[in-house]
This record gives sequence, C-alpha cells and structure tokens, in this order.
Amino acid sequence: MKRRFMVSTAAVIAVMLPGSALVIGQEAAKTAVAKSWTQPRTPDGQPDLQGIWSNVSSVPLERPKNLGAKEFYTPQEMAEIKARAAQKAPVDKAGTRADVHYDFNQFALDSSHTKVAPNLRTSLIIGPEGTVPPLLPEAQKRAADRAARNRGHQFDGPENRGLSERCIVWPNEAPPMIGGGYNGNVQIVQGPGYVGILQEMIHDMRVIPTDGRPHLPANIHQWLGDSRGHWEGNTLVVDTTNFTDQTAFRGSGDKLHVVERFTRTGDDSLMYEFTVSDPATWEKSWTAQVPWAKSDGPIFEYACQEGNYGMANILSQTRAEEKEAKEAAEAAARTGSK
Amino acid sequence: MQAKQAVVFSGAFAGAVLLLAAGPVWAHHAFYAEFDETKPITLRGTVTKWEMVNPHSWIHLDVKGPDGKVVNWMIEGGSPNALLRLGFTKDSLPPGTEIVVEGYQAKGGAIRAVGKDLTFTDGRRLFMGGSAPGAAPGETADGQAAPAKK
Repeated sequence: MKRRFMVSTAAVIAVMLPGSALVIGQEAAKTAVAKSWTQPRTPDGQPDLQGIWSNVSSVPLERPKNLGAKEFYTPQEMAEIKARAAQKAPVDKAGTRADVHYDFNQFALDSSHTKVAPNLRTSLIIGPEGTVPPLLPEAQKRAADRAARNRGHQFDGPENRGLSERCIVWPNEAPPMIGGGYNGNVQIVQGPGYVGILQEMIHDMRVIPTDGRPHLPANIHQWLGDSRGHWEGNTLVVDTTNFTDQTAFRGSGDKLHVVERFTRTGDDSLMYEFTVSDPATWEKSWTAQVPWAKSDGPIFEYACQEGNYGMANILSQTRAEEKEAKEAAEAAARTGSK
Repeated sequence: MQAKQAVVFSGAFAGAVLLLAAGPVWAHHAFYAEFDETKPITLRGTVTKWEMVNPHSWIHLDVKGPDGKVVNWMIEGGSPNALLRLGFTKDSLPPGTEIVVEGYQAKGGAIRAVGKDLTFTDGRRLFMGGSAPGAAPGETADGQAAPAKK
C-alpha cells in the first residue's frame, strides 16, 4: 500500500519535472500515463472512473499574493515547505474566537488523516493570476443586500442560519466539488446512461444523466443545480446549470454555470478540472484543477441532521442571553429609579 | 483495519503538508456562535454516555462541583466519521471512564462545553490524531496503542 502511494507520487512529480509550467497538468499527465497504463472500461464500454476517491487538497483555491504568477513549486521547494510545516503545529491564542473549537488533530479532522493526492501547484486555480476574478458591481451589491437583510437577525430562527448549519447543503457538495479538510470522500458509480456521484459530506448523491437529454427548464432551480454529462474521449464532462441564488459559490448567483471534467490518469489517480462562469458575477470564467487520489474507503454515512444539536443550542442559548440581558436592564432601571 | 492502515500510510506525507497552505476547510457551524470564548473551563468527570452522532459527537460527563453536587455536562466533539477512521467505535469510551476536558462553556450559561482537549486522568490524549505533537497515528502521546481497537 505504502509503496503504491510512493510510486504514484514519483510518477506525478516525474511528469511535472521535465516540462515548462505551461504544459504541466492534465494533458501532460494523460500523455505520460498513456504509455504504461490502459484506461479500464465498464462492461458497456464507458471509461471506468468508478471507486472511492479523496478530493481533499492541501493547496488553497487561490494563490497567495506573494507568489505572483508562480504556478508550481519545484519538488525541492515543496520538500522544504513540508519540512518547515512539520516543525510547528497550529496554535490559536487562548480566549479568542478562533480557539473555540475542538482540537483538529485530536479529532482526526485535519488532512494528516486523509489521503491527499500529491500536487505541486501553488493554487488550485490555474493560469498566471491564480485567483477568482473580482466581483462585478452587481454581484457585490447582491452580497451586500443579502448580508443587510440578515443583519441583526442572525440568531432569530433556523432560517437565519447558514445552509451548512442547517445541514441542507455544504460548500463542498455543489459543483464544483472542492473537498473540505475532512471526510473528503467521493464515490463514483456508473451505469448505462447515468453516472452517480456520492459525497460523504454531507450526504448528497448527484445523479447525472449521460443520455443527451436537455437541462431542466430555466425556471427550475436546485441546490446542486442540474447536471448533464457526456464523454469526450476518456473524459467525463458534466455541465451544470439551474442553481439557486442561495448557495452563492464565491459570490455567484443563480446564473452560475459549472463545467467539470473528470479524467482518470492511473489506477489510483484522477484529475478533476472545473471551469466556473457567471456573467452576473465575474467578467470572465476561471478554471481550477484538483488531482484526486484513490481512497481505501469505506464511505461512512454522514447523517448531518441526526444529532444537529448545535442548531437548537445556538438558538436556545441566544434566547437565554436575551432574557438575561432584559432582566439585567430591568434591574438597572429599577435601581436607577429609586 | 483497512481504515487504520490508510491513516498510517498517508500520515507521513499529508501530515507534513498540513501547513503548506490553508486548503479549504468547511466547518459545520461557527463554534463561537455556540460557545463563549470568555468562558474557558476545565472539567474532570466520569463519562455517562457517548453519542456518536453526526455532525458532532457528544460526551456526557458527570462532574462533581466544589459543593459535592454532581452535574451532568454535555461536551461537543468531532465528527464520528473521522473517529471511526481512527479506529474508534461507539463502545470505545465506556461509561465510567474518567476524563479531563479543557474547553469553553456554552453561551447563555447552559451546562454544555466544547471539548477542546480531552485527556485521560494520566494525561494521555483521548483521541489520537496523526499530527498531534509526539503522537504517531492511532497512538497516544506516550506511544501506547489507542484504547479503541474493537
């Protein structure tokens, strides 16, 4: 097991080393693996992408500003970064909001407990900019309006709380699928005319027809949008529209359009690429690549609603605090009037 | 066993890149909305129940106060799925186990807390993460096997 991982790491680094930054990536990886690896197929002839994959990444979506247009670390730089990172553990200052959390390390919620595909990229977003384009004025206004509507009412009731807290949908689920730091497992299953994608976090199964049928009518909006797939060579291409205006991926609206490309690059590796556009949010589209690693599984059920005490706690505690504040104010008023 | 192996084998590489950059980490809820950063708390008590429920596990703990009165606290912890991958099951923390919890109390004075650090009374950590200082994956800080290999 360990050896297999190291071999695949070496293979990816080897692919990345000789080329210039421009040719490194999906195409180069495909060319390189084609010599020694044959794309398996399902009984009905589709490229076989099935299995459980980890989509957790240690690479941030956007490139840190100080790296400029540098798209890749060299293997040596990566080794140095890893060595430095191993020296220190993250520590939050006691008594701060950031510290109010259980210890990630102890509870296995950091990526050290997860299989993470090797990646020399400095950001998941490809290209010289490596960032999400700035929000258009109308998108900024949309975000400000949304925040203004909820301001002062964040704790009024469950519907004032975020979609994650309500266990409705998490940001990792709606395409594009960007794994969170933990339980980042995705299972792909295929049958004639359909591809299914189950995400451990937080429970949803994407059922993607590949039979050429059109998208749903434009007036129908879904949390995860409406996905349609087709094959281009060995690549599964999934086109998703019909989003709601509530998931707001990086400030997007209901005109969000996501095109995902799934290309298996080896027995244990898959390249996941997505291009995001929304004419009401960004001036131009942007693209990211995330290598996935085969995961040993199994996927566990994540029944988010099962014991979602946090929601009731947050609301009931706020009521208790309000009551306490009201009683304190009344007591102060009585004292003051004497 | 399968899950345990995966943890061990990926730990060496992935643990090292943990701090490489902040990858996206989605949180289920903002803990500061539920717990009070001005109320740090240390509780020593006896486990009465462990709820391995999503999205967060909850440990119920009988804690004897200075007045001798026993109060049952609820301690919020991490995702059961991740704990399962570490080899823990719902039987791994039996009632009667004595533990120490460091964390923050709930807002509004509720008898609940987030369990930031959980240890046995001899100082061993309760759940052992691969990147916990001095701990190999699945092992306690002092190198003993995790208590939960059922």
